[in-house]
Amino acid sequence: MEQAAPDPERLLQPAPLEPLSHPDTGLESVVGEEVKGARDEGPGDGTMTESNFSLKKIEISVSEAEKRTGRNAMNMQETYTAYLIETRSVEHSDGQSVLTDSLWRRYSEFELLRNYLLVYYPHIVVPPLPEKRAEFVWHKLSADNMDPDFVERRRIGLENFLLRLASHPILCRDKIFYLFLTQEGNWKETVNETGFQLKADSRLKALNATFRVKNPDKRFIELKHYSDELQSVISHLLRVRARVADRLYGVYKVHGNYGRVFSEWSAIEKEMGDGLQSAGHHMDVYASSIDDILEDEEHYADQLKEYLFYAEALRAVCRKHELMQYDLEMAAQDLASKKQQCEELATGTVRTFSLKGMTTKLFGQETPEQREARIKMLEEQIKEGEQQLKSKNLEGREFVKNAWADIERFKEQKNHDLKEALISYAVMQISMCKKGIQVWTNAKECFSKM
Amino acid sequence: MSGGPPKALPSTGPQSLRDMPHPLAGSSSEEAVGGDSTPSPDLLTARSFGDKDLILPNGGTPAGTASPASSSSLLNRLQLDDDVDGETRDLFVTVDDPKKHVCTMETYITYRITTKSTRVEFDLPEYSVRRRYQDFDWLRNKLEESQPTHLIPPLPEKFVVKGVVDRFSEEFVETRRKALDKFLKRITDHPVLSFNEHFNVFLTAKDLNAHKKQGMALLTRVGESVKHVAGGYKLRSRPLEFAAIGEYLDTFALKLGTIDRIAQRIIKEEIEYLVELREYGPVYSTWSALEGELAEPLEGVSACIGSCSAALEELTDDTTEDFLPVLREYILYSDSMKSVLKKRDHVQAEYEAKLEAVALRKEERPKVPADVEKCQDRMECFNADLKADMERWQNNKRQDFRQLLMGMADKNIQYYEKCLMAWESIIPLLQEKQEAK
Repeated sequence: MEQAAPDPERLLQPAPLEPLSHPDTGLESVVGEEVKGARDEGPGDGTMTESNFSLKKIEISVSEAEKRTGRNAMNMQETYTAYLIETRSVEHSDGQSVLTDSLWRRYSEFELLRNYLLVYYPHIVVPPLPEKRAEFVWHKLSADNMDPDFVERRRIGLENFLLRLASHPILCRDKIFYLFLTQEGNWKETVNETGFQLKADSRLKALNATFRVKNPDKRFIELKHYSDELQSVISHLLRVRARVADRLYGVYKVHGNYGRVFSEWSAIEKEMGDGLQSAGHHMDVYASSIDDILEDEEHYADQLKEYLFYAEALRAVCRKHELMQYDLEMAAQDLASKKQQCEELATGTVRTFSLKGMTTKLFGQETPEQREARIKMLEEQIKEGEQQLKSKNLEGREFVKNAWADIERFKEQKNHDLKEALISYAVMQISMCKKGIQVWTNAKECFSKM
Repeated sequence: MSGGPPKALPSTGPQSLRDMPHPLAGSSSEEAVGGDSTPSPDLLTARSFGDKDLILPNGGTPAGTASPASSSSLLNRLQLDDDVDGETRDLFVTVDDPKKHVCTMETYITYRITTKSTRVEFDLPEYSVRRRYQDFDWLRNKLEESQPTHLIPPLPEKFVVKGVVDRFSEEFVETRRKALDKFLKRITDHPVLSFNEHFNVFLTAKDLNAHKKQGMALLTRVGESVKHVAGGYKLRSRPLEFAAIGEYLDTFALKLGTIDRIAQRIIKEEIEYLVELREYGPVYSTWSALEGELAEPLEGVSACIGSCSAALEELTDDTTEDFLPVLREYILYSDSMKSVLKKRDHVQAEYEAKLEAVALRKEERPKVPADVEKCQDRMECFNADLKADMERWQNNKRQDFRQLLMGMADKNIQYYEKCLMAWESIIPLLQEKQEAK
């Protein structure tokens, strides 16, 4: 619609239904360190942030994690982890990167950023954050948030989140996102000042709409159904995978016992001793190899988890559609009822129940002047209502168009990413098999020398 | 046919199933027509089946009218490992073709024992009889009685807890057959035991039960004397080598026991891993049903996991069937060897007791009495036999364990190779781009 003026305040509240640029449906998600800002297809520099970072190549990394203690809102001491976010811009010519910004953020600030984006971009499938608490753990993994392995995996997850944002054609231009990367102090206040919490749809309203909406777009119904199924199947998969990992760990570790007993046995043997002893050593190697193998598999699990959480983001878009559709239906219903009332008043017939009609019956009819006044008021309301309905209709259609465009983009990304994940999983399995063959071949050679 | 045709297990050998009369019934010679199953075709190509009408008085079925030339060429073909004593083998024994027999009183399995030999102790160059576990047990007891100075190989465990293991399952029967085959082969390899008359009878008699009844009277001198344990006399000093053997066997059995427990634990963990894999694979299939472009890749991963599950099941089965039984055999072996060592101790004790008694009876001439000499002989024979057997045992043990452990490593390698193949084959599937959209 209208072009956003270069007004600082305006920049903080991008109109959600305004297409800021043509979403690049063919854009492949770049989950890497280097990210190209979205092409500047929109008009001028209106929606651009000051330093035009979307025009340069940007590298974002969450490079470190640090334990901190501080005081929370209730003035109680708490321990938390802070993450260092570094932004580099890459000059085109020589490919050298220059550190432009570097600041520390904690998980709750990431959450704040995401919640803001959810409110202001309801038509976008907003990338999810890595899990807050460790779930789908198998016995060896600590469920403790302070555990270094968990922190490390979370660091990678947070980096991935930022990279997803930066590679999204629309989200990458958001001012608050830019400030998140560049303005350490006062950022929280800035976000809160947008008043986004107030603009958020209440859960209750959304739930109500979901149940009562009569005519939602069929594609959204299907999408919601799909996201429910996806969530269910990925959770199941992650649960079973964790159990599989647990059992596999057991198998490998028990083989370590062979190492010890072969060593003890070799002590009483003459010719067999050496072979047994060295074979035992290989059994030890075998047993300890499982640790690295399972650590690698955790990365695969994390990739699956991202899409588990993406399912919720999909549902959020569907919910918004249902809400808007319900709103529209209610507005249409309201308008129709008012029109009817108006008609009845004009013709004098009472078909619809109204409080006025009731009181009229009880206390006597109203004067013609009163009736005129009421008709006039209703006519104004109807006019307003018609305008509102028109704009709501337009809004609704815009929403569906934009949302669906992002959903298509998301589908491409999902298919690509999950295929990559499956390939890397297969590669892991192949590596594990090769290691197994190596170890047992070595052991067999030792046995042959017995 | 008397007693009705027995129910046959699906034969695990290469031969076709043949019905046969009840092997342990006192069947008349006519009934034996259709006789004990003939050896497999690949053993004696020249034989003609019409010859089964010939029944010889010594029992056993004639091996056919194969010419001596073909017999010896056969023996040459069958010559496997080098004989331990450096001589060419002249005795071959095989256990195969288990069959189930259902009778009113009981159900049991018999195995076919095929013997080929050029030894003079055997009237015929070839024999084929059927025996059940009881008969092996009898043989072993007889060998222990008649050759107390030697190490008798162990039998697989006698008792099986009913309900836990199916005595008639193919796997159990096959495991037992292998163990019984090993048992007879060990005896065959032994330069003394293989000439034992009970062994001969076991291999050749048509009706073993008749022989069993006679057996009581056949105790040898040595067997008799060993029964008279020197009461209460303590061994003065055990020769170092036998003490060392005793200690070795103790530790050896201990370590094997540990290995047995570890192997069982591994099997248990592998089975539990298998259970989870069996749930894991299908979830990818479920997911595949939701997807479009990802459907094939996901289905492929599901199939892959299925292949790995199958390979894992094979691995656990092999460990259970091939690895554990041999371990347990050796533990039983060590136990029986320790009791032979004890017997040796008794013989030595007896000798020393007699010697001391003589020394005390001062009226005796310096000439050593005859019975003390006999004792000394006995002891020295025992020591010599035992030493020789121990050496042979050590060698065989080394071979057996080498083979066993290499086999275990092999099975694991094969398992990983199968999984590797499955995962490698799926990579191109995962990487291919969907053409038609």
